Amino acid sequence: MSTANGPLLAARDLVKTHGRTDALRGASAELHAGEILAVTGPSGSGKSTLLHCMAGIVRPDGGSVHYEGLRIDTCPEDRLSALRRTDFGVVFQFGQLIPELTLTDNVALPLMLAGTSRREARARAGEWLDRFGVGDRGDARPGELSGGQAQRGALARALVTGPRVVFADEPTGALDSLSGERVMSELVSAVRSSGAAVLLITHDARVAAYADREIRLADGRAAAMEGAI
Amino acid sequence: MSTRHILLGLLSSGPSHGYDLKRRHDERFPQARPLAYGQVYTTLQRLVRDGLAKIEGTDSDGGPERTVYRATDDGERELARWASETAPPAPFVSNEIFAKVVVAILSGADPAAYLHDQRAAHMTRMRELTKVKTTPGADLATVLSADYALSHLDADLRWMSTTADRLATLTAEVTSR
Amino acid sequence: MTEDVKLAWLFTRGSDRREWWRFGLTAVGALCATGFAAAAAALASLGGVTYRIPYGDGLFDRPGERTGVILALFLLLLPTMGFLGQCARVGAVHRDRRMAGLRLAGASARRVRRIAALETGLACLAGSVLAALVVGAVVLSIGVPSALLWVAVAAVALLVPVAGALVSVVALRRVVASPLGEVRRERRPAGRRTALQGVVAVAGAIMLGILVVAYGGRIGVNGPVALFVAFLLIGLGAVWVSGSSARLLGGRLAGRTEDPAVLIAAERLRDDPWAAARTHAAVLLITVVATGYMGIRQAMMDDIFAPESSSPQDVDFYVTGLDLTAAAVGIGLLITLAAVAVGAAEGIAARRQGLAEQVAAGVPRHTLSRALLLETALPLAPAVGLAAVGGLAVGTFYATAMGGGGFVLPWTALPVPFAVYATCLLAAATAMPLLRRTARPSELRHA
Repeated sequence: MSTANGPLLAARDLVKTHGRTDALRGASAELHAGEILAVTGPSGSGKSTLLHCMAGIVRPDGGSVHYEGLRIDTCPEDRLSALRRTDFGVVFQFGQLIPELTLTDNVALPLMLAGTSRREARARAGEWLDRFGVGDRGDARPGELSGGQAQRGALARALVTGPRVVFADEPTGALDSLSGERVMSELVSAVRSSGAAVLLITHDARVAAYADREIRLADGRAAAMEGAI
Repeated sequence: MSTRHILLGLLSSGPSHGYDLKRRHDERFPQARPLAYGQVYTTLQRLVRDGLAKIEGTDSDGGPERTVYRATDDGERELARWASETAPPAPFVSNEIFAKVVVAILSGADPAAYLHDQRAAHMTRMRELTKVKTTPGADLATVLSADYALSHLDADLRWMSTTADRLATLTAEVTSR
Repeated sequence: MTEDVKLAWLFTRGSDRREWWRFGLTAVGALCATGFAAAAAALASLGGVTYRIPYGDGLFDRPGERTGVILALFLLLLPTMGFLGQCARVGAVHRDRRMAGLRLAGASARRVRRIAALETGLACLAGSVLAALVVGAVVLSIGVPSALLWVAVAAVALLVPVAGALVSVVALRRVVASPLGEVRRERRPAGRRTALQGVVAVAGAIMLGILVVAYGGRIGVNGPVALFVAFLLIGLGAVWVSGSSARLLGGRLAGRTEDPAVLIAAERLRDDPWAAARTHAAVLLITVVATGYMGIRQAMMDDIFAPESSSPQDVDFYVTGLDLTAAAVGIGLLITLAAVAVGAAEGIAARRQGLAEQVAAGVPRHTLSRALLLETALPLAPAVGLAAVGGLAVGTFYATAMGGGGFVLPWTALPVPFAVYATCLLAAATAMPLLRRTARPSELRHA
């Protein structure tokens, strides 16, 4: 376990190169338990790459990522995969729902992967869908949902396993502003009650304003840290 | 912002006294600057002088005696005219942030640092407003007025970020004259 | 029209790597198709005359045996067609997007279809010209042929690209309808009836095949053509069975499975059962043919090596004939496996962003791999089973008829469907390394 005051997730001096372009050039960030941290910056500043590195989706070329004392950037892939399943939840711009599965099955999937029985998994998925106001769309497939509904389904899928960290990469990027506001306030109220921390990537100041704190990236480095915990 | 029209609007739902009007104003327009008592009473006196409101009587209700006002027919007409009239969209562009940037350039200070600090201040305020509107049980009036402010702050931020990207050109332009 | 040809050529030149795969594979498919068809046409043009042809131990000399060879070549066309159909799907997403772009730019649906058809036609022409040259060279090495032969070969070499272009027009009929390139699949209710119709079609075709084998000569029906039709019907029926059983199986399994991989595979099958069926058409045909062949081979070998029969030269002749057929079946199987591998790879490539997102969200790669394999394995099992029954019926009938006394089960044919099934799964598994390379976060960014 982490020390009482230490960060839950800490990235230090991350370097990552995509081909010939440097996506990250010594970026650092700390995420504390239960806080919402916004990472903002112009496009191409390395926001998504930072999230990918911190979520263990991508291995950085240099620097380190620690999650509760476990070093993620050098951890074997199986362990990372398990970690993403149990401790982390992920939400992307276009959701990450499997187009062929019903909304309920999509949300139940992470639980089934963890060994929960289908019936139990579907029941818990249903509760989360109800909570996000899309309980009546459980039998629909993602293609039959509106953008806002699909994104709520994606939130439910990210939160259903009770993760300690939620990684959200432009979660409202594909939504109109009212749907975006709703999705954000539902995300915030859900993590406030579950105590999960959120790493929120966005280029939209109004979305960033839902966070407790903000890191601004420019040219692959954290340019400034603002706000108080 | 026309305080007299807003008071007239509050009166249109029925006769009321000054203290009650102030309370209802602050309740109806959360996040707005609260009305001062003095302002309420001077505005009511002007409305009476212009024939838009009149004194209905007094009401003590166990406490101190209060003057009760009601809107006149002229007042109702004036209110209808005002409410349907469009607000002039940005008639004068007075922009304190822009003025400060230009002054910073002229005086040889660091406009980029100023914009950076201003951005941080804006973000802090936006976080406060977002917190207010996401507080459980917040009513729609609170949410909408917070949204109004958030949209304006967001617009400022966008403007600041494009300005920050073009500071070099601006500096050249300002210092060349 | 010349403008369209120019456009088609421009698109072909400017397209990306994935599309070059399509052109390349289409050309290879056309090469095989033209090769088989032109050889068959050349042999057919010889008519009912005996020649000395220095290949295959005199198998091509007499008209009777030539008929058998022509049939074998015709049958090889079937898996080749399946392969060509599969190739049309490679990089189809890109092509569909380009076609939609053309529509947005103001081209009429007909014009877009024509351009697409020309693209396919050009690729097929490249392959078929090459094949015609090879066939021509072989013919010239034997002797001076009749004009009829040249006409037949040239006709085939032209027909194949034309057929390819027509097929692509049909395949694109829905894509080009909308400038936004949206093709929405309608969800039809699960079809117990269609499955039944498929079984009936297969059974009917088997009966037809048996009747042709037994009485074809007597009533003067052209044997090879009738058999070709019978096999085609069996194949279509099996595709039917494969598609509708995919939907049924998908629905059943999706409702009750506890395994995430099975759930994903089952829902994908229910969503688009015909995707699997298209891929499997060639597999099913080759199962019918291979199972039937093994039965016939066993019966003939028993007959040839029976003590009272044929001289040593005759034995050579028959064995060479059987071996050539075996080679043809083997080539057919190879083509089929290539089609399965191409189909599996294309299935992954078309969904690469979704797969990358699943991996990023913590779905283990092995779960996704298993789901992809199950997608091939589940619907293939009943269809291969049915196709094997069909082939076995033909073989058994033949063996029993040849054996003279009593019922003969060609037991050597029994392992064939299992072998086909296993090699198909292996072929699908060759696409798995692609999943590892594909399901990478670099695929996450672009929508």
